[in-house]
Amino acid sequence: MTRKQKRLSVIAGGLAFLGAATGLTFYALGQKASYFYMPADLTSASLQPGQRIRLGGLVEKGTIERGQGATVAFSVTDNQKQVKVTYTGILPDLFREEQGVITEGTFRQDGVFVADSVLAKHDENYMPKEVADGLKSKGVWQESKK
Amino acid sequence: MVETGHFALVLAFALSVVQTLVPLFGARMNNQKMMAVGGPVAVTGFALTALSFAALAMAYATSDFSVANVWDNSHSLQPLIYKITGTWGNHEGSMLLWVLILTFFGGLVAAFGSNLPATLRANVLAVQGAIGATFFLFILATSNPFARLNPAPIEGRDLNPILQDLGLAIHPPLLYLGYVGFSICFSFSVAALIEGRIDASWARWVRPWTLVAWMFLTGGIAMGSYWAYYELGWGGFWFWDPVENASFMPWLAGTALLHSAIVMEKRSALKIWTLLLAILTFSLSLLGTFLVRSGVLTSVHAFATDPTRGVFILCILTLFIGGSLALFAFRASSLTAGGLFHPISREGALVLNNLFLTTATATVLIGTLYPLAVEAVSADKISVGAPFFNLTFGPLMVPLLVAVPFGPLLAWKRGDIFAVAQRLMAAFAAALLAVLVTALFIDGASVFAALGVGLAFWLICGALTDIAVKSGFGSVAPGIIFRRFAGLPRSVFGTALAHLGLGLTTLGIVGTLCFGTEKILSMHAGETVQLSGHTLRFEGLYPAQGPNYSEDRGRFALLGADGSTTAVITSSKRSYPVRQMTTTESGIKTIGFSQLYLSLGDEGTDGSVVVRLWWKPLVTLIWGGSLVMMAGAAVSLMDRRLRVGAPSRRRKSAGAVPSASLP
Amino acid sequence: MLFWVIAAILTLGASLAVLLPLAGGPKRGSASSDHDLEVYRDQLSELDRDVARGLIQPAEAEEARAEIARRILRLDNADPAAKTAARQPSMATRLVATAAVLAVPLVSWGLYSQLGSPDLPSQPLSERLAKNPAESSVDELVARAEAHLAANPTDGRGWDVLAPVYLRMQRFSDAVTAYRNAIRLDGDSAARQAGLGEAIASAAGGIVSADAQAAFEAALKLDPANPKANFYLAMGMAQEGRTEEATAGWQKMLAALPQDSPWRSAVEQALAESAKQSVASGVPAKGPDAGDVDAASSMSPQDREAMIDTMVAGLDEKLRQNPRDTEGWMQLIRSYVVLGKTDQARDALNRGIAVFGSDSDEAKKFTAFAVSLGLTATE
Repeated sequence: MTRKQKRLSVIAGGLAFLGAATGLTFYALGQKASYFYMPADLTSASLQPGQRIRLGGLVEKGTIERGQGATVAFSVTDNQKQVKVTYTGILPDLFREEQGVITEGTFRQDGVFVADSVLAKHDENYMPKEVADGLKSKGVWQESKK
Repeated sequence: MVETGHFALVLAFALSVVQTLVPLFGARMNNQKMMAVGGPVAVTGFALTALSFAALAMAYATSDFSVANVWDNSHSLQPLIYKITGTWGNHEGSMLLWVLILTFFGGLVAAFGSNLPATLRANVLAVQGAIGATFFLFILATSNPFARLNPAPIEGRDLNPILQDLGLAIHPPLLYLGYVGFSICFSFSVAALIEGRIDASWARWVRPWTLVAWMFLTGGIAMGSYWAYYELGWGGFWFWDPVENASFMPWLAGTALLHSAIVMEKRSALKIWTLLLAILTFSLSLLGTFLVRSGVLTSVHAFATDPTRGVFILCILTLFIGGSLALFAFRASSLTAGGLFHPISREGALVLNNLFLTTATATVLIGTLYPLAVEAVSADKISVGAPFFNLTFGPLMVPLLVAVPFGPLLAWKRGDIFAVAQRLMAAFAAALLAVLVTALFIDGASVFAALGVGLAFWLICGALTDIAVKSGFGSVAPGIIFRRFAGLPRSVFGTALAHLGLGLTTLGIVGTLCFGTEKILSMHAGETVQLSGHTLRFEGLYPAQGPNYSEDRGRFALLGADGSTTAVITSSKRSYPVRQMTTTESGIKTIGFSQLYLSLGDEGTDGSVVVRLWWKPLVTLIWGGSLVMMAGAAVSLMDRRLRVGAPSRRRKSAGAVPSASLP
Repeated sequence: MLFWVIAAILTLGASLAVLLPLAGGPKRGSASSDHDLEVYRDQLSELDRDVARGLIQPAEAEEARAEIARRILRLDNADPAAKTAARQPSMATRLVATAAVLAVPLVSWGLYSQLGSPDLPSQPLSERLAKNPAESSVDELVARAEAHLAANPTDGRGWDVLAPVYLRMQRFSDAVTAYRNAIRLDGDSAARQAGLGEAIASAAGGIVSADAQAAFEAALKLDPANPKANFYLAMGMAQEGRTEEATAGWQKMLAALPQDSPWRSAVEQALAESAKQSVASGVPAKGPDAGDVDAASSMSPQDREAMIDTMVAGLDEKLRQNPRDTEGWMQLIRSYVVLGKTDQARDALNRGIAVFGSDSDEAKKFTAFAVSLGLTATE
């Protein structure tokens, strides 16, 4: 190999590496990014069976049922539609009735959302940002005018 | 005292403007007096900022609620330590800490930069001053911590309970020392671009600053990870949360910079690339500051959000990143290329390291910014979490880690990969043994887990091999080995320690992810539970009262083989009345390098409590490894070659260019 | 004053940091090549050490040495340009120097005058609390008591003193806690139980809830003649629509109360109102009616204000959520008129009309009702 060929092969190798990395990144983005929905968005969303999504909304009042062991069932609502959610694990400290939550998981055959994580992280208005935006766009929630 | 602090802050801003303009002008005019202004001004600026910060901390310590910031983030009943750490547990105070550290580094350059050429030093201080000026302006205009309330309220609104923890005392200062430390590398780069001259000597002058920044950033990230681990009660040590990524990206880029600067120093090669990396590293630090401070992300870091601040920081970001990159594009072509090298060589290995690290940085950057971009162009909200990073970041890291032990053993310019492979046979054998032992003797170990353990041992043994080979192990007499070992440059130990730490961290991660077990159950007092060979008995819930909270403590007894209690672990639910918030304090028992971790859930109606237990094998190695990495950086810093002094007149007059060594 | 002295000293120091290097004698800086040379010299000695240790092969070392030497040679070539003496200070440089020295005091004092509050002293909490009590505000006194109680949470007398203060400051839930603590630590007393009841009722916007009722009844057990407990219990009955029992209760009180009791007029007004009520309408009160308002007027001014405001606001809020409540609107309008808040009464009237439409029967009814109260819709 001449020096020029050598250099070319190094450059080609580098480019191939970068190409592979880019391809992998965008493949992963397509596969692994999970979309955020509110209950009322679900009718218009076309979900693949078993697709992971994040479901956000308010914990509907009076729907929290503690089942066997650490399993909890509750409904997430955006005041238009409700979705029943089950979750096994420890609920976050900030999980309360009528407070915003984001759950992540998949839909079961019977339409119940099986969450493997429940987040109630939020800003000082006790509302996760995504949920607040979603509710605002649906006109359900106004910012307090204090 | 409060107003003195406020005035000192304003004065520090005025000085930072002078620090920017006068030395820059002086370097341009080659005026020694003007260039000399930079030093005293930088030191004075630091003193004033420190005074200002002390005034704010004092206001916090004495619960001076006439300061709006104190009123908003403190409470008279908080323990004194959390009153003081509350100083930087909020937006305004943490920005003040940011500039304090910035001016601190500026002051260090002024105080210890006597070995730098005057123009370089003047330009570095000028760039540093410019960064300071914009952030002082940002603080004064949008986030003034000294805004006052009159009449003063009598009680504060308390610090966010999640932040009332010793982790907060240590994590942000360390992280900022890292973040902001890279500003020095940035300033050196921009200064070099302004002068249009860059040499191997430049890399040596920048190196200690890179090491310092990298060391603190490593510590800051590790501390943040441990804090999240025990404070959030989820048992995870890394969440790929955007805020974590914001600190991880400068670390990856900074690690690349650390390595490419070696090539530049030794071989005068990769000069342009190193400059670019230095600029990018600090740009990523700024980006991180922007992401966290502007509130474009929502995350566990529950700080306030305010769009005007976001726009202001975005302007700073554009100014410095855009400006420096434009300068780079303008000047890069005028910089000369350096020495040549063969692909298989120390240089080649370091280039490979850079290739992987920067690509990894890019994937983290894309994963972090992609959701923001999608949300900006469409209304869709997506989240990119652990699955994405596992798929992209993981495959990039594995080959890099495999290659690490080769690097330090390869010769400069042209290396012999087979000779190196031969020297690494022992390490390879150890790794293989680890794989086999794991696969055969540990129940439920997957192939991946076994390979992961093997990889960790490969790194650890590789680092030890490096030291052994350089001490002449196997080639010289034992007595000489010891003498050689003692005489090795500190930087060799630094490298080996850092790589060893990386191996330990890898081992911790693999151990926790692959062999950890977890149980969620609801327990009544008196019940016992088994987890990975440990027996725990739940003793019950006991109420207790803290200074500014009340809590229910769940007591768990760890039972020995004979049923006696060997240790008591408590996890509690705390309720802070002022903010009406509840937090969970996890209970952790360290056994060897592993930990038993438990956290309390809700109380059931029948008196039972939901309990979540984890067995986390080798988990402490994750942070222990980071400490070893920090130690590596510290040892490297002590290397004598970093202490190159200023040229003395006597030697110069002797005209001792070492002509004997000319070819 | 002290602040200005410190500020002046700081400014002086900062200006000197700029001035001194500029004013110093002529300096000859070392050429930058000298600094580079120092580094390369060190690299060479490092190379020698590495060779001595056997870390690198002699051949490699030779190559590296040649490379470093080339760097040194390049320095010598580039040097003459860099070694030219500093240019004489020109007019421009002097101007810059002057501007820099002046900028420090000008920028800092100018900016600080915009941002700072130099007249406001620091106010550490302990200092504020250590002040002579006579000069302290009520808030500060309360804070001092709170600090004392935080340190000595078992001081029942402290809670006992603080509880009525909280009540008067309208910190009702704190008052509830304080009364409960006082009762727990210092035992029952009629005054404490009655106070607890009042605190619970006030926290609930004036509604005598079951909890409040229990407290009042406990007070009566200890002191059957306790006027506060008797009064509120009767009010509770009135709120439930048991007007006759309420009237009976108040009348019994009236008979027992001494002539100079402050409760007398309150009871009389309550009685008069309940009489009017039972004649005017059989519906149970949903919000504050004139009776409550009048009854409240005999309470302490703070209590009265709190009670009325919370009740009216509560009704107003309820109507915003369920606007189609004819009776409610009329009550709201009447409440505002009784309170003398004509503008708000008019606003309520307009809102009520808007809900049902201006042609509706309800609207006509509202208008007529308003006229009877001496109120007209927006002209």
